[in-house]
Amino acid sequence: MAVLRRAWAIVWKDLLIEARTKQSFNAMVFFAALVLFIFSFALGPDTELLRRVAGGLLWVGIAFTGILSLSRTYQNEETSGGLEGLRSYPGDARAIYLGKLLGNIVLLLLVEAVLIPAAGILFQANLWPHAAELAVVAIMGTIGFSLVGTFYAALTVNLRAREVMLPLLLFPALVPVLLGAVNATTLVLEGAPMSEAEVWLRVMAAFDIIFFVICVWIFPIALEE
Amino acid sequence: MTLCLVGPNGAGKTTLLKLVATLLRPSHGDARVSGRSVRDDPDGVRALTGLLTVRGFLYDDLSAAENLQFTMRMAGLRPRRELIAGVLERVGLSEVADHRMRTFSTGMRKRLAFGQLLVRPIRVALLDEPYAGLDAQGMRLVDEVIAEYKAAGTTVVLASHQDGEAVREAEVTGILRKGHLEILPESEPLGRHLSVGQPAAFPETD
Amino acid sequence: MASRTGVERFLGGAAGLTMLAGSIVGLFVVPADAAQGNVQRLMYVHVPAAWLAFLAFFVVFVMSALYLVQRDARWDRVAASSAEIGVVFTALTLLLGMMWGKPTWGVWWTWDPRLTTTAILLAIYVGYLALRSFADDADKRARWSSIVGVIGFANVPIVYMSVTWWRTLHQPPSSPRSVSPDILWTLMLNLAAFTLVYAYLMVRRVRLERLEGELEKRMAYNA
Repeated sequence: MAVLRRAWAIVWKDLLIEARTKQSFNAMVFFAALVLFIFSFALGPDTELLRRVAGGLLWVGIAFTGILSLSRTYQNEETSGGLEGLRSYPGDARAIYLGKLLGNIVLLLLVEAVLIPAAGILFQANLWPHAAELAVVAIMGTIGFSLVGTFYAALTVNLRAREVMLPLLLFPALVPVLLGAVNATTLVLEGAPMSEAEVWLRVMAAFDIIFFVICVWIFPIALEE
Repeated sequence: MTLCLVGPNGAGKTTLLKLVATLLRPSHGDARVSGRSVRDDPDGVRALTGLLTVRGFLYDDLSAAENLQFTMRMAGLRPRRELIAGVLERVGLSEVADHRMRTFSTGMRKRLAFGQLLVRPIRVALLDEPYAGLDAQGMRLVDEVIAEYKAAGTTVVLASHQDGEAVREAEVTGILRKGHLEILPESEPLGRHLSVGQPAAFPETD
Repeated sequence: MASRTGVERFLGGAAGLTMLAGSIVGLFVVPADAAQGNVQRLMYVHVPAAWLAFLAFFVVFVMSALYLVQRDARWDRVAASSAEIGVVFTALTLLLGMMWGKPTWGVWWTWDPRLTTTAILLAIYVGYLALRSFADDADKRARWSSIVGVIGFANVPIVYMSVTWWRTLHQPPSSPRSVSPDILWTLMLNLAAFTLVYAYLMVRRVRLERLEGELEKRMAYNA
């Protein structure tokens, strides 16, 4: 699969640059921590309340942090002639989408690996017993978020006011996957059996599959000049 | 053979090169590269063409060698260490092969951008201001590379403000003004209108 | 080409007349609802407005898809016009829903699946229009907004389902109750009136959009 090999080249390049500079990761972790802090301040020190809304707060934090990294998706390209550089190579343009998508998913999951335990400590929720379930929810939610996010980031990259346009387009589209992630997380944290959270896992799975198909299919059109 | 494009800033030289490289889509009309249409078969055209832009498609935080490795992978080639080492040698960057490009001077970046063209087989080389930012030695390198391309049967299209051997020796010269291309008769040497390191003075041809 | 056409005049007249008739019948002729009283009369404009909003966005979807396949600027103009009208009527639907909700449910807003989905729908198409306003190049504007038009609409059923599951405790939609023939035909009359208004606005808006496109092209050419 030539497309996958080229997508992998982009992942390799972006993660190598990220590993060297850590520019996105550091900024994202710091930003996410601030968001969690502000929530705690806004809601007051009522631990019972914080624990109840932890799932929602966590995903608002992830969504805000994710937007930050999405808008930087094509940042590495900025010094190298923009997306044009990637488009100048022969082969399917979908490789660009798949590569950037995988890079975004990996980066966001790494941030969540720090953010979720931090939220557990701040909100005094014991996460260890539910670690596996939480990981499943986080991965499915992050995939859905990144699928649409990477797509809209490419669509808005050459736009005036792209900082405004990306969230404006993205957040309404993300409603199903965010609802799924928040509700599944809340159920898991409450210690409900996995079968109760199942409907939300299904919502996320359906969202992930549908948008994977649509985005991969349409992406070359979004990138045309 | 070589086609040299000259013309004032904003005449459309870069736009023309980008059209041939399929980075821009023609709003009307078409262009063909080895019989492949930039409109209907952009992918086929991209496989045959290599574009050297003013800045190059390079990454600051990758080393010279890694940049070329990435280029090869994106072009669907298996990155071969010896080939990359050879190309870096050719463009005079062997000693800094493992240095991050962030530390490079403008001229070194230009050389690396040339290396990006040399790691993949192409039939048409599109060079946008190949001499810009290079020292005398670098300019000689450009001329040598162009001569090699010519010898290998690769068509070279270059757009330049600066004089150089390749500009003077181009078989065909075209002047672009406000998007209109005029091909100069072969007899007229372009060198007359250019002076080294200076913007060209263009003859009025209306 | 730029003049008012006969079609426009006919649609304008028909829309005005049916709107007038629908309003008179809805406000004065049909008896008030036994349970809800006069408040129920809002239904005669709320339901048609909602129907029109969905119709308009469906048109955006179809035209956007057509544009992506055929790349004919005509389809983009129709999609853009329909999106604008859709946004207006979605906002109207929400407003009327709130006016009905306050006396009926005691609150202006409730997280009812349909209400919530309608609000999200409004956000999606406001995004669509904002995207258009930020893109300078006509071809790119058409291409990008068509993509949003397709993705936005494809998302609507998923949004609706997820919001419904989120609100499972909430009462199911109230419509299946047997509706008197009076109410039904008044509703139908108003549905027809609103649809005619849509058709009239569309014809005018598409013409305006075409003229704007022409102007843009000429200005770009002269620049």
